[in-house]
Amino acid sequence: MPDLDGTLIDTDVLVIGAGAGGLLAALGAKRRGKRGTRVSLLDSWTVGRTGHTAFTSAHFIATMPGDDIDAVAREIIEGNDWIADQRLVREVVATSAERVRDIEGLGVAFPRDAKGDYVRRPTRGLDSARLIGAVGGGLEFCWRLRLGLEAEGVQILDRIFVTGLMRGTGERIIGAVGIHSRSGAFHVIKARTTIICTNSVSFRSGFARDITGTGTLLAYRAGATLRNAEFSYTRPGAPKFYFEGITFAAQEGACFVNAHGERFMPKYEPLWGDEADVPRIARAMVIERQKGNHPLYLDMSGIPESLHPFFLSSSKVKWMEYFYRKLGDEVKTNMFGKTPYYPLNQMTKMGVRTDETCRSDVQGLLVGGLAQAGCANHFAGFHIGLSIGNGWIAGCSAVEDLDRLPPPRLDPIEVRALHGDTFRAHSDRAVEASDHVLRELQALMFAYDISIWKQEERLRGALKRLETLKDEMAQVSAPHVHELVRLKETDAMLLAAELILHASLYRTESRVSHFREDYDFRDDGNWLCWVDINDVEGTPQLAKTPVPTPLYPVTATRTEPVQRRIRGATV
Amino acid sequence: MIETIDLERCTGCGICDIVCPADVIHMTEATVHSELPGLVERRLLPVIKYREHCITCFNCEIYCPEKIVDVHPVVKNRPRPW
Repeated sequence: MPDLDGTLIDTDVLVIGAGAGGLLAALGAKRRGKRGTRVSLLDSWTVGRTGHTAFTSAHFIATMPGDDIDAVAREIIEGNDWIADQRLVREVVATSAERVRDIEGLGVAFPRDAKGDYVRRPTRGLDSARLIGAVGGGLEFCWRLRLGLEAEGVQILDRIFVTGLMRGTGERIIGAVGIHSRSGAFHVIKARTTIICTNSVSFRSGFARDITGTGTLLAYRAGATLRNAEFSYTRPGAPKFYFEGITFAAQEGACFVNAHGERFMPKYEPLWGDEADVPRIARAMVIERQKGNHPLYLDMSGIPESLHPFFLSSSKVKWMEYFYRKLGDEVKTNMFGKTPYYPLNQMTKMGVRTDETCRSDVQGLLVGGLAQAGCANHFAGFHIGLSIGNGWIAGCSAVEDLDRLPPPRLDPIEVRALHGDTFRAHSDRAVEASDHVLRELQALMFAYDISIWKQEERLRGALKRLETLKDEMAQVSAPHVHELVRLKETDAMLLAAELILHASLYRTESRVSHFREDYDFRDDGNWLCWVDINDVEGTPQLAKTPVPTPLYPVTATRTEPVQRRIRGATV
Repeated sequence: MIETIDLERCTGCGICDIVCPADVIHMTEATVHSELPGLVERRLLPVIKYREHCITCFNCEIYCPEKIVDVHPVVKNRPRPW
């Protein structure tokens, strides 16, 4: 039995992950909790500078007084092909204006027009919803919130990488254990309620390489139910440069073309054309590829020259500004001409099942951010939009539970076991071996005919290849803290891949971003269901749970024209 | 991917290390010649320890007060679907 050597932190509400969800969960808990409620917010790196929200433009769907809340909530749910928690989505949409005011109160600015109204823009695939964007983008948004939370007395714990959840001597979650991601010091964080607000799982793709989504899988290992593993966020991207802004570019005249110069999106998506949501673009690109019509391009030549500076000098996404400045003329020529494009799996939509108050099936464990499975599809703007809403709700629910739950008691045997699991024996081979496993895993999970255009035989083949990678990974242990964190992340990715492949095989229809070549139709009779996954002694067990539709009954796919002008669909 | 940090002009503030989301830059103690001959100065300076794990987010370059960090914009080994 290893000797313990580390730090104990005792708190009331522990929030794991400091993107939009975690920041708002901490704010909700602090403001709704009784005076003196202790709230601790941790992140694997620096809170306010390194969560994924920090790298975005911090645009999100927000309604304002006078907006038709039901129209917005309904179209988001419809755009999820009904795989959504209707009450939660409506609540998040309905309270978004209040959250904007909370965030503004902490020093984040949102642009306003001459009349004093917020400047808002439409987003792809949605008609009524409007996006609001923070001045200074995600970095400013996250930093201001960090400073605000510190001022309100939230304990900020930078650089703590969580490696396990604790059950203590009872049947509920009583906090987490982890390591300082630089020093490796062992930390035990005892909490009366724990909120996981980590991101969804990615496989270190181009766009979101800082996301590994380990929190979702810790919840799974602790007995929580996961769902939406068969759905993903598959976003088109260029091999040469990153471009955050396809949503707005398509509104201003950009379009997708194939090798023959044909615009192909209106053929696949007559309603939305190039403004269709990204999974639909991914599907169309894959079918074009199968027909031999590749290479495929994003053609930005239709964007008026007067708007070029808007796309080149993005003040919202700071890294994009640096990126474009450094690539100079090359990227300008590429950007406003034809650039090769392909769809790339960015992240799974797998999240933890909760009720509409963000409580999971496991007592003491709440979930917000993208780790929560409120939606299977977030469009451009509801990743952060939903995270702001469900994070706040999770924070409020967590403090409601404080009085009901007895004080947590550590179980020394459990703590020692988690310590032992965190620090496995050292191996000098680890760096090379884990990088190899990651590369192989990426090759497996990014293949378009596995991740986007799925088919039974190919999925089974992928599961078989995954088994050999898992075996290889089981031999590896970490020689130092840097690699230990990466190993834990790769472990999580391997498990995520397994759950994604199983759920993709299980759902024998096509819906949202799950496209089966062998079941290329939506089957509401059999599949208006979530695919729920539980860990049964190390083996994933899958089951169907019908999706209730208490607010917005299911209708056929929409065919009437949208209200606003859609360039792609009218050409 | 991060290329260089100009250590001649570095003040050792450590911000590049704090804002890195990939654990690439580590502040590490170094010895340099001091203003008084015979005395060796110990100071913390950034070391690019895990360059290959850089995610090209530009945070270090954005937040460096001396503007002496250089990140190359091209991302190598970007995965592809076909």
